[in-house]
Amino acid sequence: MRALDLRNVKFSYRGSDVPALDNVSLEVEKGEFVTVLGANGSGKSTICMLANGLIPHAIQGDLEGIVRIFGLDVKEHEIAEFTTKVGMVFQEPESQLFCMSVEEEVAFGPENLAVPRDEIRERVEWALELVGMKGYNDRSPFSLSGGEKQRVAIAAALSMRPEMLVLDEPAYALDPIGRIGLYSVLKDLKEKHGMTVLLAERDAEEAAAFSDRLVLMKGGRIIESGPPRLMLRDPEDLRAIGVNPPQVAEVASLLNTRLMISRFSFLNVDEAEKAIVDEVLALKPGGRQ
Amino acid sequence: MTGFVDLYTEADTFLHRMDPRVKIAAVLLLSILAFLLSSLYYLLVLLAFIFLLTYLAKATMSRTMFALKFVLRLMVLIIVLWPLFDPSGTPVLASLGPVKITVPAIVRGLTSAVRVGCLATVWYILMFTTSQRDLVRALVKLGLRFDFGLTLAISLRFFPTFISTIDSITDAQRARGMELGRGRLFKRSKNYVSVLVPAIVSALRTADTLALALQSRAYGARSDRTFLTEIKMRGTDYAALSVVLGLLVVPLVAKYFFSVPL
Amino acid sequence: MIPSAPSSMTREKIVSIRGLKFTYEGGVEAIRDVNLDIRYGEYIAIVGGNGSGKTTLAKNMNGLLRPTGGSVAVMDKPTSEQKVAALAKIVGYAFQNPDHQLFCSSVEEEVRFGPTNLGYPDEAIRDKVEKAIEAMNLGQFRKLPPLTLRLGERRRVSIASVIAMDPQVLILDEPTTGLDAGESAELMHRLKRLNDEGKTIILITHDMKLVAEHAKRVVVMARGKVLLDTDARGAFSDLEILRQSSLEPPAVTQLAHRLSAYDIPRDIVSPEELVFHLMRAGGDIR
Repeated sequence: MRALDLRNVKFSYRGSDVPALDNVSLEVEKGEFVTVLGANGSGKSTICMLANGLIPHAIQGDLEGIVRIFGLDVKEHEIAEFTTKVGMVFQEPESQLFCMSVEEEVAFGPENLAVPRDEIRERVEWALELVGMKGYNDRSPFSLSGGEKQRVAIAAALSMRPEMLVLDEPAYALDPIGRIGLYSVLKDLKEKHGMTVLLAERDAEEAAAFSDRLVLMKGGRIIESGPPRLMLRDPEDLRAIGVNPPQVAEVASLLNTRLMISRFSFLNVDEAEKAIVDEVLALKPGGRQ
Repeated sequence: MTGFVDLYTEADTFLHRMDPRVKIAAVLLLSILAFLLSSLYYLLVLLAFIFLLTYLAKATMSRTMFALKFVLRLMVLIIVLWPLFDPSGTPVLASLGPVKITVPAIVRGLTSAVRVGCLATVWYILMFTTSQRDLVRALVKLGLRFDFGLTLAISLRFFPTFISTIDSITDAQRARGMELGRGRLFKRSKNYVSVLVPAIVSALRTADTLALALQSRAYGARSDRTFLTEIKMRGTDYAALSVVLGLLVVPLVAKYFFSVPL
Repeated sequence: MIPSAPSSMTREKIVSIRGLKFTYEGGVEAIRDVNLDIRYGEYIAIVGGNGSGKTTLAKNMNGLLRPTGGSVAVMDKPTSEQKVAALAKIVGYAFQNPDHQLFCSSVEEEVRFGPTNLGYPDEAIRDKVEKAIEAMNLGQFRKLPPLTLRLGERRRVSIASVIAMDPQVLILDEPTTGLDAGESAELMHRLKRLNDEGKTIILITHDMKLVAEHAKRVVVMARGKVLLDTDARGAFSDLEILRQSSLEPPAVTQLAHRLSAYDIPRDIVSPEELVFHLMRAGGDIR
C-alpha cells in the first residue's frame, strides 16, 4: 500500500479558472523521502494540501482524478481519518502554533485523539527529543525563534504518530541557524526513523542532498521525477522550472563539461571536496598529493 | 512581551497554588461583598484585607501600583468630582453658587473610590496568580463549552502577536510619511485605514492558516477528548472556598437580618 | 528625481553613524557601539543572524528608532532632530512583509500614498508615481488591487510605493523572502538599475548568496556590533566571522575554503569561478 497515490489529478481552487494541478500522477512509497521542487504557483503546495486530506475537505475547489492516502480514497472518507495518519507542517511558524506553551501545543493532537494521559506525556517527550527541543515544555511561543517554532510544529505533528509527514516550505521564513536546525531534524527523521516525508521546496540547496526522490513541477504539472543524482545532473532542468540548482551540482556539471566526462555528481560539499581533491587536483603535473 | 493582558507572574504562594475555580469564585464573592458594604470604614477594612492578599501573592507594591495606574487615576477623579456634583447633606464645608461641598458627599465619594479600588485589586490578584491557561481551563471545567474555551485561549495567545503586527504596520506606514492623528478629518481617517486594513487582512490570513492547522491536528475528530493536565480541588481549596463564602455570608446576614450598619 | 550621484571619486556621506547605541524599552541592548558611514550611490548589504541588530540599525537610519546613545546623521542633520515623515524623503524603508503596507484599491493609489503624505504638488506626484511604477515593472497591474497580486508582485508594489517618495537611500529588509528564483532575479535586476541611476541601496539580509551576487560592500553584524565592514569579496575570505554572526556562507565558498591548500582563492562565490580556478590548479584527468 502506497503512502500517497495521485492519479490524473486535476484541481482548481474555488473561484479560479486556472487549474492549480493539471493531470498530475504521483506515488509516494512508505519510507520514501520525496521533495517536490517548483517555483511559486507551480502546484507544490496544492500537492501538500491533497496529501493530508485538507483538499477537498477543508479547502474548496474542483477535484478530479483519484487521490488515495494509505489506500483510502480521499473523497470517500472523513478528514479525521487522514489527519490521524498524516502530519502537516505549514510555512508560517507563527500561525500554526496556537497554544500558550510548547507542551500544550505538542499535546494538542494526541489530546484530540483521546490518547490516554500517560501516553500523551510519553509522546510529548519523545517528539520534543526528536526535534532537539527537550526541556522546552513550558516555553511560550513568543519566546521562541522562527526555527524553534517550526521544530515545535514538527513535534506537534509527530506526537500524533503519523505514518507520513508533509511539510510545505517549512524553511520559508527562517534565518540560517533556523534552516540548519530544521533540515538536520528532517535528515534525522529520514535516516534514523525511516519516516515517510513529503516536502515542498522553492529552493534545492538543502533537501535535495538527502531526498530519495525529487519531483520537478511547473505550471501545475510534474515535469520529471527521479533520484537526486539524476535530476541534478543537468542544472538546466532545474532552472527550466524556476528553481536554482544547488551550487555543488552546478560545479559538478561544469566540471563534467570542461573535462568532457560525465561521471561527476555532487550532492553536498563533502562529496564535492573528496572528488575534487582525489580526482581533479591530484593530477596536476607536479601537483600536491 | 506577552502583552498587558497577561499579568501572570510565577511564584510559589498558596494563592498561586489554589484551584483556579476557587479563585474565580473568591473574586466574584469579594466583588459582591464590595458592593454589599456601604460603610466607608468597612470598605477600608476590605481594602486592607485585599492588600494583605497581594502581599501574600508576592506582588510588589510598585508592580501593583503600575498595573493599576488607570484605576488610581479613576479613584482620584471620583474623589474630586463626587462632592462637586452631590450637594446633599450637612455639614457644608464650602459653597459657590449651586455647588456645595458637604462632608457626607466627600464620604460618599471616598466610599465609591475605595469600592473601585477593592474591585480592581482583587481582579488584579486573580490575573497575577493565575495563568491564562489555568483560567481558561477553569472556565471550561465550570461548564464553558470546550470550543469556546479554545477560542478564548487562542484569542489570548494571539493578542500580543496582533499588537506587534499593528506596531509593525504603523512603522511601515510612518516610513511612507503617514502621521497618525494629524491632518484634516478625511486624511486622518485614511491614515487609520492604512493601519486597519493591513491589520485585518493579516488577522484573516492567520485565521485561515490556523483553521487548517487545527484540522490537521485532528481537532474535532472525536467527541471525547483527553486533557493532559487536570485541575483538582484539594482540601486546602475547599477550606479557602468556605472561608470566602463565610466572608460574604456573615456580613450579608449581619446587614440584612441584624441591621448592622455595614 | 534627484540627478544621478557624482561618480565614485567624490562620494559624499549621506548617512553618518557615530558611536550608536540602542536599547529597547524592555532592556534589550540591540546595538552596542556602531560606527558607519554610507556614501551616495553605494550598494551595501548589512548582514547578520537574528538578534544581530541589523534591523534595529536600519530603523535608526530613518528615524523610526532614535539613538539611546551616540548619533545618526542623515545629510548632516541628526535624526533626533527630524520627524520620520521628513526623513522619509531621504531614506526610504521597504519592510519585509509587503502585506503590512498594502491597503489601497489599486496599485496606482498605493504608490501615490507616500508622495501624497509628503505634500508634493499634484504634477510632481504623478511624475514620481509613473517613474516608480516603471522602475518596478508594474505597468500591467496599475489598476488592480494590490492584495490580489502574487507575493513577488506585492513586494514590488511595496517597494514602488517607497521609491515614489523619491528617496536617495533605499533600505530593503529581506526583499527576497518568499520569492522563487525568477521573481528574485527580476527584483534584484530592478534594484541594480536603481543603483546604476545613482540611488543608494542598503540590503538587510541573511542570505549570503544574494549578497555575493549583488552587494558591493558588506557590513557584518553580530550581537549589536559590526564585526566586519569590507568590500563584498572580503566578506567571504573569513568564514569564521560569518559563522560568528550566525550566517551560512554559500556552498561554493565553503568548498573553496576547504580547497584553499590547493592554491584555490578563498573568496570564491560562484560555481563558474570555482571551476575556472580548479581547471587552472588541476590537470587534465581524462
